[in-house]
Amino acid sequence: MRIDHIRNFCIVAHIDHGKSTLADRLLEATGTLTRREMREQVLDSNELERERGITIKLHAIRMDYTAGDGRKYELNLIDTPGHVDFTYEVSRSLAACEGAVLVVDASQGVQAQTLSNLFLAMDAGLEIIPVLNKIDLPGAEPEKRRDELVDLLGCEPDEVLLVSAKEGKGIPELLERIIAKVPPPEGDPDAPLRALIFDSFYDQYQGAVPSIRVVDGSIRPGMHITFGATRAEYEVDEVGLLRLGRVKQQELSPGDVGYVIAAIKRVSDTKSGDTIIHAEHPETPLLPGYQEVKPMVFSGLYPTDADQYEELRDALEKLKLSDASLNYEPETSTALGFGFRCGFLGLLHMEVVQERLEREFDLDLITTVPNVEYHIVRTDGSRLMIENPTALPDRGSIDEIEEPYVRARIMCPSEYIGNVQKLVHDRRGEYVHMHYLDPTRVEFLYEVPLAEIVLDFYDRLKSSTRGYASLDWEFLEYRPNDLVKLDMLINGDPIDAFSVIIHRDKAYEYGRNMAEKLKELIPRQMFAVAIQAAIGGKIIARESVRAMRKDVTAKCYGGDITRKRKLLEKQKEGKKRMKQVGTVEIPQEAFLAVLQVGD
Amino acid sequence: MIPRHLYVHAPFCARRCSYCDFAVDVAAEPPVEPWAEAVAGELGRVRREEGWSAPLELDTLYVGGGTPSLLGPEAMARLRAGLEGGVDLNGVEEFTAEANPESFTAEVAAGWRRAGVNRLSFGAQTFHAPSLRWMGRLHGPDGPGRAVERARAAGYDNLGLDLIFALPPMLGRDLADDLDRVLALEPEHVSVYGLTVEKGTPLSRWVAERRVELPDEDRYGEEYLLVADRLTAAGYLHYEVSNFALPGRESRHNGAYWRGVPYLGLGNGAHSYVPPRRWWNRRDWSAYRSAVATGEAPRESEEEVSGEAEALERIWLDLRTRSGIALSGLSEPQGALVRTWERHGWAEAAEAAGTLRLTAEGWLLLDRLAVELEGAAEMVARGGPKAADSGLHGAGKRTEETR
Repeated sequence: MRIDHIRNFCIVAHIDHGKSTLADRLLEATGTLTRREMREQVLDSNELERERGITIKLHAIRMDYTAGDGRKYELNLIDTPGHVDFTYEVSRSLAACEGAVLVVDASQGVQAQTLSNLFLAMDAGLEIIPVLNKIDLPGAEPEKRRDELVDLLGCEPDEVLLVSAKEGKGIPELLERIIAKVPPPEGDPDAPLRALIFDSFYDQYQGAVPSIRVVDGSIRPGMHITFGATRAEYEVDEVGLLRLGRVKQQELSPGDVGYVIAAIKRVSDTKSGDTIIHAEHPETPLLPGYQEVKPMVFSGLYPTDADQYEELRDALEKLKLSDASLNYEPETSTALGFGFRCGFLGLLHMEVVQERLEREFDLDLITTVPNVEYHIVRTDGSRLMIENPTALPDRGSIDEIEEPYVRARIMCPSEYIGNVQKLVHDRRGEYVHMHYLDPTRVEFLYEVPLAEIVLDFYDRLKSSTRGYASLDWEFLEYRPNDLVKLDMLINGDPIDAFSVIIHRDKAYEYGRNMAEKLKELIPRQMFAVAIQAAIGGKIIARESVRAMRKDVTAKCYGGDITRKRKLLEKQKEGKKRMKQVGTVEIPQEAFLAVLQVGD
Repeated sequence: MIPRHLYVHAPFCARRCSYCDFAVDVAAEPPVEPWAEAVAGELGRVRREEGWSAPLELDTLYVGGGTPSLLGPEAMARLRAGLEGGVDLNGVEEFTAEANPESFTAEVAAGWRRAGVNRLSFGAQTFHAPSLRWMGRLHGPDGPGRAVERARAAGYDNLGLDLIFALPPMLGRDLADDLDRVLALEPEHVSVYGLTVEKGTPLSRWVAERRVELPDEDRYGEEYLLVADRLTAAGYLHYEVSNFALPGRESRHNGAYWRGVPYLGLGNGAHSYVPPRRWWNRRDWSAYRSAVATGEAPRESEEEVSGEAEALERIWLDLRTRSGIALSGLSEPQGALVRTWERHGWAEAAEAAGTLRLTAEGWLLLDRLAVELEGAAEMVARGGPKAADSGLHGAGKRTEETR
């Protein structure tokens, strides 16, 4: 079986460096899609993706291309998600390829995600094809950026292709380069089936439809298959390749990229990185690199209106069908009532899920402060993992609390070195390494507690570098720290939704800020409201909201009644949107505000 | 039900005050004749529409503004003539007209008296010259005194003064001093209003531009209580949130609004209430006038007040007055709620009358209390769990009683 006509590759880039536009041009140049079809395709894709200019879901597409040598090639472009939250997914997509087109913006140059993705691609043993994009833009510095890439990759200057995806410049050259440099796949067509799952879509009629890359053997309808991780068995209904839609095929053989339909119920049954094998050969060695994806960030989601609890549960169930990395469990909060503790891959994932719940399912949600998973070592030596600060056991029984650290890569213009150092220092980051990419740009490596990143680190980083810094991170390890639980008390009652686990050195400032913030956000009530921050039994900050003094419409005669009554009705509605905690009404914004507490 | 209370709007002012958002038409020489004609025309139209064939027997008539005194000495007689046949004024106990000190001349006093006006309400606002100027008032500190003198001389024995409080502290107005000056004039009635920022007024623009800072809630509360203390000590009954009167001199006309009995309003921007309907006229004087003249309905819109809206309105209006709310009408959670009010000094029960009324402290929180009280009734109606888990509202035992 000849497979030297197949090229499997992906495009990796920092966000906004033009990956999607470049992909569009390749599809156009190979006649895979017309411009019109492309527009429709774009319209079909997730609204949120388009708005945020990020790729949340992975895509793969097959292109047929007749090269300069007159031969016909099958090109499989495997798209990768463009965000740090999805590093593992990126690595699985890369594992399905032999080559990677590394796109760098000719004015911005190499950024943090460029490097992270490049390193992932190199780890996966991919052939790298460097491309400078947006060379037509006024700020482009192709010479300078080319030198940067030459330094970075140790390649020759003429190996760096100059492209303007927007103008369609350099596209034919890129296609030829892919044919020339990306190695054809290798695989044994006679060996038992091994196919890598690198993505999965949810189809409301067909269930979960995994995207796969066949490594050895072949897969065809009627075959019984099983998955390395779940060992559940399925009969294949259909296989095919991915174009604008699905194109049915007789079979997929080594090197092929396509899809499998096998009446699989949920996307979570088809885990990225898992191996599909022949059910009759369960002993087939699995492909390396599979990991169970673990949520890194947790947050409680509660319906603002308690009556929406069931709707929220149904909505989460539905989302879970198509989003395997979303985890949730019911939880109860004394302040917020019934809701769910959800686990996310990262902050973006969290925001995307929240927004989808609110937009697609029309829910009104209150979100608690995001937190990480803590590992508790108890005095009796046992270990406990908690995803919710309120689950922290009694202090006396705790020997140590460990928190996750990440390795953070930050790149910024050298004039902001001081700002970045200060920010990371404030966030308990530990310096590892600093390196000048060129005289004007610096790369930092830090080890930072993830908890310090999940709040608003990225926003702060951006604002302290006028938007120039880029950030990427990956999980490193758990480390013990002097962590304490900080509670916020309203009229003496701790409000569980406000509790956080925090480093002792930062607790005082956080408690003070939080108390001040709540003082601003809790409107005057009929009674004075005491706001306190406490560690254990010790009060470390206090504020108070004085009792409401005045809420009256002075003048009320015949012509005023209707209008004033409407204001009262509004007040009544507003009251319904408040969460009643004891005798105190807390507005939704107070729960959101916790997200903005800090420096 | 046929209204026994008539309000007539006289929209003309020589100048618009900085805080005013009323239906007002600025005119140096107000068109008395067209106004009286339009009002009479509307009365005829309403009677036809509502099928009120007999003349409306009125208990009260109130001419408000605007600045009715700007219309001159003959205006009330002219108005009466226009209303003749449509209303029966023989039984009118209270015929009030509003007046501003600067246009309330001896001639106006006498002319109105002859036309049957027996109660006057003067817009005094303050006796502090800089504050008067800031508000855009056309009278000086001595204006109200002179107006009262003229009224007394013409034989009026039922006078009211309007006073404003919660003025921006920067004006340096001394409220206690103003209260002394009011009391010195010995009016039968005093209305006191906190300055309110209404949309579209010069005041709202000044506030938005931070050129004016309004007093905070605490100062508002202090001033309100100061007014209540002084006037009560001087023998006035605090009979509604903003109204004080010597015993027996409460405004009967305004009482109709709070009691929820039917009333008819004529003129631009005027509201009428014939339960369950409430309707209101176009605000703009010329639009109103030409509508009436061409036989179109001058109404802007109408609503039906029923269900929750009616309940909320009723509670709110009941709580506004010294008569208060009937204890027998309260559900059990509502009863528990008002007991907490009593403990806080916001309300007191009048055991003999079987009513509960708010104190001055309570009136300061009126809107909020009304919403809470109505909410407590709703919880029973829904029999829901919310009553049970709300500490404020007690155990919320289920009862069949609803309003």
